Amino acid sequence: MGDILSTSVSGLLAFQRALDVTSNNVANAATPGYSVENVNLQEQRAQPTASGYIGSGVNVQSVTRSYDELLAGQVRSSQSSYSSFNTFATQAAQVDNMLGDATTGLTASLQSFVNALQTVANGPASTANRQVLLSQAQSLAQQLGNYNSQLSTYGADVEAQISNNVSQINTLASGIASLNGQIANGLAATGQTPNDLMDQRDAMLDQLSQYVTVNTATQSDGSMNVYIGSGQALVLGSTSQQLTAFQNPYDASQHDIGLVSGGNTTDITPEISGGSLGGLLSARAQVIDPAVNTLGQFSVGLAAIVNQAQQSGMDLTGATGQPMFAVGPVQIAPATTNTGSATVTATRTNLNALTADDYSLRSSAGTWQLVDQTTGQAVAMTGTGASTDPFQAAGISIVVSGSPSNGDSFLIQPTAAATAGLSVLLTNPAQIAAASSIQTTAGAGNSTGATVSSSIVTDPTQWVPGSDTIAFSSASQYQVTNSGGTVIASGTYSSGTPIAFAGAQVTLSGTPAAGDTFVVTAAAASNSGDNSNAFAMIDALSASTLNGGTTSLTGVANNLVSQVGVMTQQSQANATAQQSVNQSAVDTRNNLSGVNLDEEAAKMVQYQQAYQACAQMIQTSNTMFNSLITAIANG
Amino acid sequence: MRISTLTFQSDALSQMDALQSEMATTQNQLATGKKLNSAADDPAGMAQVNLLNNQLSASTQYVTNGNYASANLQLEEQAMSDATNLLQSARDLAVQANNSALTATQRQDIASQLQQQLQDLVAIGNRTDSDGNYLFAGTSNRTQPFAQLGSSVSYSGAANVSQVQISSNQRISSGDTGASVFMNVPAGNGTFVTAVGAANTGSASIGPGTVTDAGAWVPDTYTIAFSSPTQYQVTNSSGTVITSGTYADGGSIAFNGIQVAINGTPASADRFTVTPAGTASAFSTLSSLVTTLSNPNLSSAQLTTQMGGALQQIDAAITNLNNVSASVGARLNSITSSQSSAQSTQTNLQQSISQLSDVDYAAAITQLNTQELSLQAAQESYASIAKLSLFNYIQ
Repeated sequence: MGDILSTSVSGLLAFQRALDVTSNNVANAATPGYSVENVNLQEQRAQPTASGYIGSGVNVQSVTRSYDELLAGQVRSSQSSYSSFNTFATQAAQVDNMLGDATTGLTASLQSFVNALQTVANGPASTANRQVLLSQAQSLAQQLGNYNSQLSTYGADVEAQISNNVSQINTLASGIASLNGQIANGLAATGQTPNDLMDQRDAMLDQLSQYVTVNTATQSDGSMNVYIGSGQALVLGSTSQQLTAFQNPYDASQHDIGLVSGGNTTDITPEISGGSLGGLLSARAQVIDPAVNTLGQFSVGLAAIVNQAQQSGMDLTGATGQPMFAVGPVQIAPATTNTGSATVTATRTNLNALTADDYSLRSSAGTWQLVDQTTGQAVAMTGTGASTDPFQAAGISIVVSGSPSNGDSFLIQPTAAATAGLSVLLTNPAQIAAASSIQTTAGAGNSTGATVSSSIVTDPTQWVPGSDTIAFSSASQYQVTNSGGTVIASGTYSSGTPIAFAGAQVTLSGTPAAGDTFVVTAAAASNSGDNSNAFAMIDALSASTLNGGTTSLTGVANNLVSQVGVMTQQSQANATAQQSVNQSAVDTRNNLSGVNLDEEAAKMVQYQQAYQACAQMIQTSNTMFNSLITAIANG
Repeated sequence: MRISTLTFQSDALSQMDALQSEMATTQNQLATGKKLNSAADDPAGMAQVNLLNNQLSASTQYVTNGNYASANLQLEEQAMSDATNLLQSARDLAVQANNSALTATQRQDIASQLQQQLQDLVAIGNRTDSDGNYLFAGTSNRTQPFAQLGSSVSYSGAANVSQVQISSNQRISSGDTGASVFMNVPAGNGTFVTAVGAANTGSASIGPGTVTDAGAWVPDTYTIAFSSPTQYQVTNSSGTVITSGTYADGGSIAFNGIQVAINGTPASADRFTVTPAGTASAFSTLSSLVTTLSNPNLSSAQLTTQMGGALQQIDAAITNLNNVSASVGARLNSITSSQSSAQSTQTNLQQSISQLSDVDYAAAITQLNTQELSLQAAQESYASIAKLSLFNYIQ
């Protein structure tokens, strides 16, 4: 009888516990991160009797949660990927939207500028036409300036988010470390796992994986070590390391990521991948900084081409044309760690070789080495670096003075600051040099076979003002002599092919006769109706003069739009794909760990019925006892 | 398979969210009519659209350029047509004056009329467009090209004209210089000019002559000297005798591939000259005609020779104007043809741009309907499944 009572009581107590767990499951059916808990029942040790072992009831061995570490890991890694692509896509889409509009974009503005030049060519003497061109120049410069400042805003926004992410990661890391401590203590004290604390820790790890890719390792004491990057420990047991966003040694406005350990900060920026922090770092390196540099390359190209053409021509007052655009200089930043006294200056010399990359110049064992930061390749330099013989590489000329310490380095950005300094220098429409600064006059006794189509200066640095004579010895052979009688060029003539000499270019059409001469002199100031220099400028603007002579200005702008577009599109597609991967990982995990109310309902019925049955057993035991008492009393 | 209640709820919700966002995208495309809003929508397509837009914009500019050039060329054509009419009426006056029956006073009257026409011709040469740019000054179009000083008219415009771009690969001159229109008129018959010696005493005159064999012509100054009314000798500038012969009234004298006719009776020692032709401007032609007609002391032979030469010069000036006019006409034609080809190019470009960037309404509406159907199905199935719970049946 005592056996029935104690066995039934053990059942009552066990099913009460089971119903407690079920009600907790039902209560947490909508709690994110809650893992469904199961009651593990165990039968109590049986009593040995002569007629065999008689069971003595049930007890609750443990309450465990449904959890699979592999599934949880899949959720985290897909969460990191998604978060990284999504953050990248958000940043890239901002730049993409800024550059994207086909009707107001950079290529359209450049075309408007060229159209305004055509209008000036139609009526070179018209001040109204010239004013339109100046306004277009202003609006082109303004648009580039707007893009540039918009990109700086995006850049500053990225820096703010990087700092914010780092502080979130630090908060979560110390949270996880503290939970590790509590879990280890709980396990040690009771031998049972504190399920709620473990759920909390998993939720924090999930959050952490949104910011950066994490790897975990469960320890025997129940704590979990967390690693980021290429194995840098963020949490070890109950202690956490701190990340820090510290200033880039070259550029105080940009942040690198450091791991603080024992008072030392290690730069782990290149190791960081995944999560929103990884996405932000990639967006900065692949979208924002390159876009600033490419806009700079465009600005430099625009200014160089237009200014050279301006200086080749003659303005409405008869004076030599002045530069139309000013651009910002080559930006040079010494590393904050430099200890030597060396200083570096650089200027742009060759538009054709100029790139949109950044370079580092490092002193190593007494020699300077230039490395392209984008490709990581060393770049060969000619020259000695002295002011009389500067280093020449990548379209810039570099002068080094002072003495460096070994390892001192400088960041050289040929185009990054160009757009910020872009402005229109001309204010007076008369200053537009539409007319050629030279004119060609046919000799008095010439045959009427050949006529002058155009004569322009192509390189104002080589052109020597004077009186040069092109003389034909036959219909196809010519010789150019300067005013001193020196032959400066000769060649074979074909109609329409320019005759080039000493930075000038004269185009004749028709067939000259032997003895025909053409005299090239400085243009008369009255030649204000000439537009050949405007056409030279139009031709130069559409020529492929950038990136080693492969790309035109329009090409540079269009490539920028396409590249940002491709990166945005790819990252958006990747984000969408990773989102569904993540969704499916979350679903798989939840299907194991989540609460199913129907299941709980069934369990509730099961436990309730068992509980009722145990109670009935106690009643039966009572009846049995009463029967015995009655029998004794009656007997 | 076990499904957690939370998964069922959140999946249903996220599917409906996704469908709603797709519908919003389609709806936005329908509302704006554009499917290409930034490069991310279609990077290659966007690059293409940018280039096509540039071509479209440039093409529109070329049409504007063509309009500018044709306005200029039409002004020029009008001026040249006025000049032709003026020279035609000057020619009529010259024919009228070339009559030995006229008195010196009558010729003087005609000379006055011609003097007025000379001034009118200079005014035509100095015509401007609506902006005050001189039509015939070439690239120096702010400077008056023609100045009359006494009887001579000089050209101070430029030797070149500015060009206008009328298509991506075609630039044409938007005018002609005053030099080519009025100044560089070939003199005489284009090869040589004939003249009567100033000291001649006979009544013979010399015609303008013709070239019979251009290959045999040696440019030089030739003198036809008469040793008697019937004997002549032709010498070149170095005094070498080229030919000699017997003269008959109205007969031709031929040498070195040319042929000149002398009419009337020359006196002994009379001379006629044949010199290589240079150029004579339309102005100098009129002005020398005025000089000829104003001179009462000219012999009849000189008058006949000079009037013959003047008529030929006027014809040459008219021919020159016609030649330039023909070239202007050709340029106007090429503007018209490049403009009409620009129009079809623009239509094609717009079509291409539209194909790349505009929404296909039929496809978009079909898509919207499909999405609407999916959303409706998701909502209805959610509403019916969400009601199911075992708790409903446990009493």
